[in-house]
Amino acid sequence: MTDRIRIQQQDFDLAEEYQLLRQADSAVGAVVTFSGLVRDFEVTTEGTDLVENSIDFLSLQHYPGMTETLLETIVERANQRWNLIATTVIHRVGDLAPQDQIVLVGVASQHRTDAFEAAQFLMDYLKTQATFWKSVRRNGEQQWIESKASDQQAAARWDSSDDK
Amino acid sequence: MINVLFFGRLGDFSKQVPSTIEASTPAEIRELLAADFPDLARELNQPQVLVSVNKTIVGWDQPLFDGSEVAFLPPVTGG
Repeated sequence: MTDRIRIQQQDFDLAEEYQLLRQADSAVGAVVTFSGLVRDFEVTTEGTDLVENSIDFLSLQHYPGMTETLLETIVERANQRWNLIATTVIHRVGDLAPQDQIVLVGVASQHRTDAFEAAQFLMDYLKTQATFWKSVRRNGEQQWIESKASDQQAAARWDSSDDK
Repeated sequence: MINVLFFGRLGDFSKQVPSTIEASTPAEIRELLAADFPDLARELNQPQVLVSVNKTIVGWDQPLFDGSEVAFLPPVTGG
């Protein structure tokens, strides 16, 4: 298993990361990659309401030292659950503009089901377990993004089938 | 002394909050802060807020030692 976990300010190159996964082993028969981008709108709070607003910038905070460990734990869980050859998780931090890449999850395996499922699992767990916090700036004002119940539900679906 | 960190929206309060404190558990830190920073204490009492000691998620009654790093973690929103 080759795991590549990075938290960085700089951008990543999807093509390069794909090649690394593809060339991880001659037994690789499937590569799934997911990249998350900054939207030009976000749901933020206005008083007690949740409102969709355009944004100027998105900023990502993490807890250095802890976040890396949590990502390693998440990748380890995926490795225990699926038959994976190589896994890449890259998460950017700092200030990002709309259309910038935020996150990359890539999985290489012998067969597609392992890669598809593990990629979903990694993203679902990353969104609910890894210590990252998003804030947005619009009209010069900073606002923290609220966590979404739908993300919690997406992650919970993996728990129910954990004991198989 | 215990080092205290606040992340996400909790960090907005922390500019006025001391970064070190004397306390024996995270729960005690929360109680101590309530006197001077009621708005922060209200946020810390939200059930979704987690606490870590030396970068590991723990319960609020985890014993603290001199030099422990306590972080208060609101719900995460990465990805």
